[in-house]
Amino acid sequence: MSGVGSGYDLSVTTFSPEGRVFQTEYAGKATDNGVPCVGVCCKDGAILAVEKPEETKMMLPNSNRRIFTVSRHCGMAVPGKLPDGRQIVSRAQQEAENYKRFYGETIPTKVLTDRLANFCHVFSLYWHLRPLGSAALTASFDDDGPHVYLSETNGVSYRYYGIAVGKGRQGIKTELERMKLDQMTCKEALKAVCKCLIKQRDDSSNKKFEIELAWISEETGREFVRVPADLAKECEAAAKKEIEQEEDDDSDMEG
Amino acid sequence: MIPHCQLPSHIATGPHVSPFVSHNEAGAPYGDHRSEDVHVPANPASVPFAVAPSTDKGEVAMGEPRKHTTTPYVTGNSVLAIKYKDGVLMACDMLGAYGSTKRYKSVQRIIRVNDTTIVGASGEISDFQYISNLLEELMTQDFCYDDGCTMTPSEIHAYLCRVMYNRRNKMDPLWNSLVVAGVDKNGKEGNKSFIGSVGMLGTSYTDSHVATSFGNYLSRPLFREFQRDDMSLEEAVSLMQEALRVLFYRDKTSINKFVLAKVDGEGVAISKPFALDTKWDFKAFMNPSKHAVGSW
Amino acid sequence: MEAPTKMKEVLTGTTIIACTYDGGVILGADSRTSSGNYVANKVADKITKVCDKVYLCRSGSAAHTQAVAGYANLYLNQHAIELGDKGCSVKAAANIVKEIAYGNKAWMNAGMIIAGWDKKEKGKVFVVPLGGTLMDVPFAVGGSGSIYINAFVDRNWKPNMTKEECKSFVRKAVSLAISRDGSSGGVIRTVTVNEHEQVKEFVTGNEVPVYQDEIQSKGPPQVEFVSV
Repeated sequence: MSGVGSGYDLSVTTFSPEGRVFQTEYAGKATDNGVPCVGVCCKDGAILAVEKPEETKMMLPNSNRRIFTVSRHCGMAVPGKLPDGRQIVSRAQQEAENYKRFYGETIPTKVLTDRLANFCHVFSLYWHLRPLGSAALTASFDDDGPHVYLSETNGVSYRYYGIAVGKGRQGIKTELERMKLDQMTCKEALKAVCKCLIKQRDDSSNKKFEIELAWISEETGREFVRVPADLAKECEAAAKKEIEQEEDDDSDMEG
Repeated sequence: MIPHCQLPSHIATGPHVSPFVSHNEAGAPYGDHRSEDVHVPANPASVPFAVAPSTDKGEVAMGEPRKHTTTPYVTGNSVLAIKYKDGVLMACDMLGAYGSTKRYKSVQRIIRVNDTTIVGASGEISDFQYISNLLEELMTQDFCYDDGCTMTPSEIHAYLCRVMYNRRNKMDPLWNSLVVAGVDKNGKEGNKSFIGSVGMLGTSYTDSHVATSFGNYLSRPLFREFQRDDMSLEEAVSLMQEALRVLFYRDKTSINKFVLAKVDGEGVAISKPFALDTKWDFKAFMNPSKHAVGSW
Repeated sequence: MEAPTKMKEVLTGTTIIACTYDGGVILGADSRTSSGNYVANKVADKITKVCDKVYLCRSGSAAHTQAVAGYANLYLNQHAIELGDKGCSVKAAANIVKEIAYGNKAWMNAGMIIAGWDKKEKGKVFVVPLGGTLMDVPFAVGGSGSIYINAFVDRNWKPNMTKEECKSFVRKAVSLAISRDGSSGGVIRTVTVNEHEQVKEFVTGNEVPVYQDEIQSKGPPQVEFVSV
């Protein structure tokens, strides 16, 4: 135990002498070690994508979901500890429903993510609680257009053009920065997002992967829905092909 | 907190200080939609502001039992629904009457619940708005499950039966008669039409044709004679128009502004408001007492 | 002399009205509050602000509607803070008022009109009558005086009036109600709300137009005796 936190990392209510709260940082690691999740905001909508390794050969495909619907205009991806993530999603669903009942309007994404950040933050305030082990990536479409927000377990939430969390996030972020997301439609971005995810795969492990894709755009009638299976497959295949092509080109040049 | 008014938790308690959902403050927890607190006003004993309503205006009644139900204020009249070859047809007018005053004339009393179901209501409009909200929340939850299936008309009918019956058992009925109609696409032998009715006491039945309030007396005799489950849409529409016409002639709280709604395999369609042609040029109408001297 | 009878509840036997025009809304009301036959307040303000650019016309029990306006104001202020620079919508305000009126309908005596301007929907009028129904309408009248002017407003309201047309329509409607309803009287207050302004104005009691069989007061009375 000695070393990392020197004893200041046991409680979420204790600061280290340098002013850090180690437990919240460790909780962040749970997200960092989670599956890669991408959220991008395009000119006509927003996309969420999660890449999941096949955990066992006996598991049915599509049975371990990581993208959830919060309300008609909003959905979430959870990269880290799945049960903790579901807790956030469930809270988000309640907040959306309550807001609608009281104000008669759909909840603005900023209000929703602010409230979720508060919710997460509370878990890092009491000694008898443990911080949540997953961030939440929100994609939505409200009166102000499409949004992508990331609400982290330490209680911050920011809006992004595009963001990646989980394993391999750095590589994906660099890729995202190169894209002109605000000029792309969701349909165009779909393949690009798949490409980012596939590129950072660890090929050595020989594992099978599954990409979960969901979006909300003008095309989906501003409803958060899964990308149709055939389109998702098509994008994934096209992305793979492009990557292979690029690799071939590279090796040609070397040759 | 204001009695009988569910507030979002952040308002009742300031910023979220508890990570746990308090059922009283945050409303029904997700997935527990049918729990008591959604359908039932808070227990008056637990609400500091709630006072017993006075029996006589201006006089505070102490120790009187709490009364929920008064009388309806803004009301809608009959709703009619019939089955036809491809699905179901529903109709009603657009009046929101205030006693016998014809006060609001663009009230949409038929709502689309999902792709296969519509609900129409007669009775208190505010209660119907509440029910509409319940259904909308229910459908949003259904949407969030994202499991590829949606509730069928008979399921929605069963749900509304429970809501209405629960409320009447609390001596606080929702003052409506509801008609649920739609098409069940999950059946093995193709699409199956459904029409069901729920009264304000939770009484319910299903049939090939239903009506509420005055329609029970004025329209159902027509339906019994002319409605067939295999009739065409055109036939169904003209039968429905005839029924509406009779209702307009004989129900004093009605206006000549109607909507028709249909559900078939393609989905839900609700008509634009329209007026019916009425006939007043019968000879006998000109001088009705001519052949009955001494009458007026 | 008769012993004092039980206290009568203070009621805003009232005429209230709100109306959309091209670019905004105008709310109008008389200013009489009565307790039985006694005019408890002859210059009451029945148009209450509930949040920025949203106003509420109150009719029914003064106590109930004041409480509702107070709560609506509280929630909307908190709502405005949460929303930041976006500002409350008229719809949200109306929904809160409805929620309170509907939830307490068993004993509450309150008929209200909510009107205002917001960026998304522009000028909007909502009405919440006795049972707690929420109606989205182009214009609304309410209170005891409204029954005398229904025909007038049905005949004379038209969509997309100018501000001046709308204001004179509102004032005329209220003055007609005052001329026939004993529970309405005093001054005519109006509030005009649009993108750029929210202005409160009033017509003094002596300038309220009178109709059929009444005499418009014009300064000190001229008394003429006629020998009979």
